[in-house]
Amino acid sequence: MAAPLPELDWPLTRPFWDAARKGRLVMPRCEDCARHVWYPEERCPDCRGERISWVDVSGRGRLFSWAEVKHLLHPPYEGQIPYVSGLVTLEEDPRIRYVTRIVDCDPADLSIDLPMEVVFRTLTFRGVAGGVRAPVFRPARTPARS
Amino acid sequence: MTARSPDWGFAGELEDISGQMAIVGVGDAIYQRASGRNATEIALDAIERAIADAGLRPEQIDGLMQSPFMGDTLSADAYRDHFGTKQEIWMSTEGGAMTWAATAPIAAARAIREGRARHVVNLFAVDWFSQKVAGGDGPGRYHRDERMKANFEVPFGWFPQPVYFATIARRHMWEYGTKAEDLGAIAVSCREHATRHPDAITRDRPLTLEQYLARPMMVDPLRMEDCCLISDGGGATILTSVERARDLPKPPVVVAGVAEGYSGSGAYWSQQADFTATPQVFSAPLAFAQAGITAQDVDVLTLYDPFSIVALMQIEDMGFCAKGEAGPFVSGDRLRFDTPGLAYNTHGGLLSHAYVLGIAHVNELVRQLRGEAACQVADCEIGVYGGYTGHMASTLVLRRDR
Ligand SMILES: [Zn+2]
Repeated sequence: MAAPLPELDWPLTRPFWDAARKGRLVMPRCEDCARHVWYPEERCPDCRGERISWVDVSGRGRLFSWAEVKHLLHPPYEGQIPYVSGLVTLEEDPRIRYVTRIVDCDPADLSIDLPMEVVFRTLTFRGVAGGVRAPVFRPARTPARS
Repeated sequence: MTARSPDWGFAGELEDISGQMAIVGVGDAIYQRASGRNATEIALDAIERAIADAGLRPEQIDGLMQSPFMGDTLSADAYRDHFGTKQEIWMSTEGGAMTWAATAPIAAARAIREGRARHVVNLFAVDWFSQKVAGGDGPGRYHRDERMKANFEVPFGWFPQPVYFATIARRHMWEYGTKAEDLGAIAVSCREHATRHPDAITRDRPLTLEQYLARPMMVDPLRMEDCCLISDGGGATILTSVERARDLPKPPVVVAGVAEGYSGSGAYWSQQADFTATPQVFSAPLAFAQAGITAQDVDVLTLYDPFSIVALMQIEDMGFCAKGEAGPFVSGDRLRFDTPGLAYNTHGGLLSHAYVLGIAHVNELVRQLRGEAACQVADCEIGVYGGYTGHMASTLVLRRDR
């Protein structure tokens, strides 16, 4: 695929996009020490184990921080300004910071630690053919488990 | 209470060269707009000026250091062709700008000790404004083309660099109560100095805090004024041994401490364990110890400042104030060259002087320590440069020769 769309056939990350197409959020996890490995790596950064499998996660998390982009800085984002992009930590392991679009919200209502939930959207870009189904986040509508 | 050292990074193991090396020549080549010159031509402009400043002749330069990611700006052949010389030239890619503007003296010291060079030029030059005008890529390409960022950041709009640092600034505001006025104090002090500096790109565009606060957000919470310029320009710094330096016309500026710090969280901003700190935490204490100084002894500080928040974090992480207290520390006029406080980026920095990635920051310190600066700090004896690039930071302490 053409940038800024992701590569769907990179073996290291392909399971992520395969799952997203089916509306599932998956994360790599080390089978030896159970640590989530984000970004994806061939080996676990903690125990150096090589057995890493992709597991479903709840899709719930908290807003770690965000930026509201009000000015076009990258031509393929034309037509999307303003938008919010930021980091969500996942309920399963707050050390995972997932970079994502923050959607379905008034930016004035966002706050750090706000409960968030995953939704799936098709990312498209001006001047780039095709699109990709991807996990993005919105403020949680269902109460978060504590 | 015992201060506990954080565990998310470490200091690099560099040789202690304090007191061995001196800077004897500086030259900048800064252009107000698209220069029409390529990076090699800009580099040669800067080198010519540095050689003249040092009182050397082109054939006496026998070492050339450039950055690891732009190591082909100037070849030894291009140098010799330009100056009509024939000497052997020791080449290194352990120099340049960013963090390497601070650490270049270490490899230069080794080369000089081993007899491979006597006068070493550290060089950095870019033609990014001309490239931008021509519709080409700017500095963002280094991030866009990184594979993991291309797959998990760029598709989600977390690109280019202002987006990273707006996200960091937002978190810093939440953790420590940092305010827009605090970021503004960084931007305004840089601009104040730039308006007094003959080379600065923004010398004709004064900025008050009120004007700053009235400017629109670019990537909220950052305004355009929080972000570095894009420009054509470069700089050259000539290093030699302290002994040789004392025979040259200008007063030597001695390298008193060099250190670097690393984050253990890898190269991605999104994944830094301490999201609102820089590895200056690990670097600055080592460089200060080599130089036998504390933060209170520093007369002038220049920081690699791609964004105002990067300066704010480094001021905390280098120990000029406690973590989280940079806001009050920088408020008002405290960063100006002529007021009580800490003279900061007295040439205007990346925000207001030019985007030459730190090489001009080092050259500015040299001018300050010689008493030649446009915004001259009174009785300037100790100058410090803080370099930064995400997972790396570096610290250079310079002092007047005793
Ligand atoms: Zn493991």
